[in-house]
Amino acid sequence: MNERRTPRPSHALSADALAAMFARLAQSMRVVAPTERDGRFAYAPVDRFEEVRLDFDTTVLPPTVHLLPAKELLLRVRLGEAGSAEQVVDDLPTALFGVHPYDLRAIELLDEAFLGTRPDPHYAARRRNLLIVGIDCLHPSATSFAPSMGTQVATSGFDLLLTDIGEAHVATVGSDRGASTIDGLPGLRAATDAEIAEVGAQRDAATARFLVELDVPRERVARLLVDHYDDPYWEERSNTCLSCGSCVMVCPTCFCFDVADDVGLDLTSSSRVRRWDGCMLSDFARVAGGENFRATSAGRFRHRMLRKGKYLMERYGVVGCVGCGRCATACLSEIASPAEAWNAIAKIDRERREEQRAAAVDGSFVPQSVSLGRVVSLADKEKLFVLGLPGGRGIGHMPGQFVMLSVPGVGEAPISISSSPTREGTLDLAIRDVGNVTHAIHGLEVGAHVGIRGPFGNGFPIDALEWKDLVLVAGGIGLFPLRSLIQYVLDRRERFGEMTVLYGARTPADRLFVDELDQWAARDDLRLLQTVDHGAEGWDGPVGLITTLISPLEIEPAKTMAVVVGPPVMYRFVIAELKKKGLGDNQIILSLERHMKCGTGKCGHCQINGLTVCQDGPVFTLAQLRELPEAVQ
Amino acid sequence: MKPKVAFFDFTCCEGCQLDALNMTGDQLASLLDAVDIVEFRETKTGTADHYDIAFVEGSISRDAEIPRLRGIRERAEVLVALGACACIGGVNCLKNAFEPEDALRRVYGDDAVHYDTIPARPIDAVVAVDHYLHGCPINGEEFRRTVADLLLGVTPRVPNYPVCVECKMAGNVCVFERGGSCVGPIIRGGCNAVCVTAGRHCWGCRGLVDDPNVNAQKEILERAGLDVEEVLEKFRIYLSCRKEAS
Repeated sequence: MNERRTPRPSHALSADALAAMFARLAQSMRVVAPTERDGRFAYAPVDRFEEVRLDFDTTVLPPTVHLLPAKELLLRVRLGEAGSAEQVVDDLPTALFGVHPYDLRAIELLDEAFLGTRPDPHYAARRRNLLIVGIDCLHPSATSFAPSMGTQVATSGFDLLLTDIGEAHVATVGSDRGASTIDGLPGLRAATDAEIAEVGAQRDAATARFLVELDVPRERVARLLVDHYDDPYWEERSNTCLSCGSCVMVCPTCFCFDVADDVGLDLTSSSRVRRWDGCMLSDFARVAGGENFRATSAGRFRHRMLRKGKYLMERYGVVGCVGCGRCATACLSEIASPAEAWNAIAKIDRERREEQRAAAVDGSFVPQSVSLGRVVSLADKEKLFVLGLPGGRGIGHMPGQFVMLSVPGVGEAPISISSSPTREGTLDLAIRDVGNVTHAIHGLEVGAHVGIRGPFGNGFPIDALEWKDLVLVAGGIGLFPLRSLIQYVLDRRERFGEMTVLYGARTPADRLFVDELDQWAARDDLRLLQTVDHGAEGWDGPVGLITTLISPLEIEPAKTMAVVVGPPVMYRFVIAELKKKGLGDNQIILSLERHMKCGTGKCGHCQINGLTVCQDGPVFTLAQLRELPEAVQ
Repeated sequence: MKPKVAFFDFTCCEGCQLDALNMTGDQLASLLDAVDIVEFRETKTGTADHYDIAFVEGSISRDAEIPRLRGIRERAEVLVALGACACIGGVNCLKNAFEPEDALRRVYGDDAVHYDTIPARPIDAVVAVDHYLHGCPINGEEFRRTVADLLLGVTPRVPNYPVCVECKMAGNVCVFERGGSCVGPIIRGGCNAVCVTAGRHCWGCRGLVDDPNVNAQKEILERAGLDVEEVLEKFRIYLSCRKEAS
């Protein structure tokens, strides 16, 4: 069984004991503590205990300044042929006397960033020589939201933690160094049970005094930020951003820096100096060629909010924002508080969800009953089922979406929709007889009833396809979902560029929708190229794999989008051919098939890494799939 | 042969040149080891027909200054604008709000007939400038670093972040929190926020950053309950030429 490690309040220090503790520390090290400055508080080296203000709300700059100074010498460099570089570290023993729990958490983040991998010797030397005396934050600043970030109470990250309970300070010992800091002090005694209970009472009372809070659990913030990455909010709210960098300069979890050489006038001695830098400054991501990779204040604003709410946590496992509120106090335009931005995004999200809930099909398993209006045999094992919808109304689908087809007593299966929503009043499901559900429907006659749920899935990205030349590649029954898109494009022909359809079947007899293929072939606004793997009598078209149709194509890669639907084995080779044509990973779109039981993102069967095919797919760009190791075949 | 360095002044107080030389004895010895100062009226007589680096202080406010500056430009490999007057026109531009004749008469009274004047302008309104050393006065450390960089063939860094950055680094309580007004958020840094650190506010002597959000600055002045026009009038001291003069 694991030993309980969380330190508990244990000792009580009288005012004299506290002063004696300060004096003991000041004898052997520099003591840095909160002091009053211009009506606010600031950490400063302190000689006399009377100058220390342990009742501070928050400080202008965080205590992390003493681990990462604004400007620090890294190397002393000698120029010339026998050049040399001497590392400089600052290992002056220092006590931070009075650090709030949110700042303790920030130091834990910096420890991860600077000591976790490739430890930084400058940081390490200061950290090794740093003694931290924490103090509970009982007088929060007006902009802090530490409780929402879970940083209002510290259980680690200190050598000693003090809580002011009025007549005494109760100490929680966090390390051996902390223990020896108070050991034997005059006026030190064991805390009583009542005093220990008062620590909890003081913390609870303080928590209620914080004025700002998150409207969403902090665990949800990262996801919200990703979901609303392109929201106009970022641009609108950053309109008044001065790009002054104040928010990042005062932030305890900001640690970005610049490194530059300062050469002396003797031209032989040089200093390599590290200085604070920050992603909110306009030139932060500018490179020598002049390109600025985060050129707009909206992009910088968003990046900061994502770094605080997502990236740092994912990279280091510690919250990227500790809710101290310093940025909100420092920002003259009053836009810097992550709590405000995240709450705004959460509100946008809530409103969108409410709209979706009002509009969307619910997650019920009850299917809508539909009758088979027409059944057409397409090939040996493939049939087209034209569904009769009540009132002749569509189901509001888009090309590339699917329904869950239900045959009572047999079960459900996901089936892609083969007709375009532009063909009103008809819903075509083309189905190959391969499993129980599909076999059952193949046995049904016109007029029989089946059930459908949906539509589900994202469908083909029409916005990204519009005004582009299209190369649509269908292998075998990949034509079933692609037919929906081809019909859609033909019905809105003026909104798309050239359309080339490549279709490959195993044999001439396996070709599907033969009449429609002939109609397409006769059109002058669609180029249809077909091939079969194995020829047969009466077939005078090309024989060969579908990839052979791609290589002779002449396309303009900059204005072309390719959509590929077919059996998994086909994808790898078709993608390779399309890449040879100069198409980028965002210009190649694929539709995936997976086992599914619900269509609503819950059953878990269709999950590929973190995504669900039924909700996030079934249509993906190749770029998306490259991020999903499970999808790469 | 050591690089030839020269200093020149136009309409200015010559304080930046003083600050350029305000360095330790060791630093001065290093500088004189590294370069020949061939023309510098504050320290010596004599002229030269070629300069590797010419430092030019002052704005241009008289017709006669234009051909003189052009001559310096022709003789200089590298021309560095030294201080606010040369870089952005500086306080001299305040005069541009008045009719030239009125300004002359106000300053020189009956002697005005002996003088001529034109609207003040930064030197890059007349000649091409290779590097800028901002400030009123310049920052000595920045001057020394720029000299070293130029001698080593490194393009000197001109800060393009606002004064707030160094003001925060200094740990200052914001001027607005102290109840004052300040243009630090839109003014080029590099000064270590000396004025705010000394208890005052930023006057804007280093000019605007490359892409200042002036509208946002006006909004924060309004929010602080300040009369925007009044505040802008106060800060016109360094910002009246802006870039439109060039």
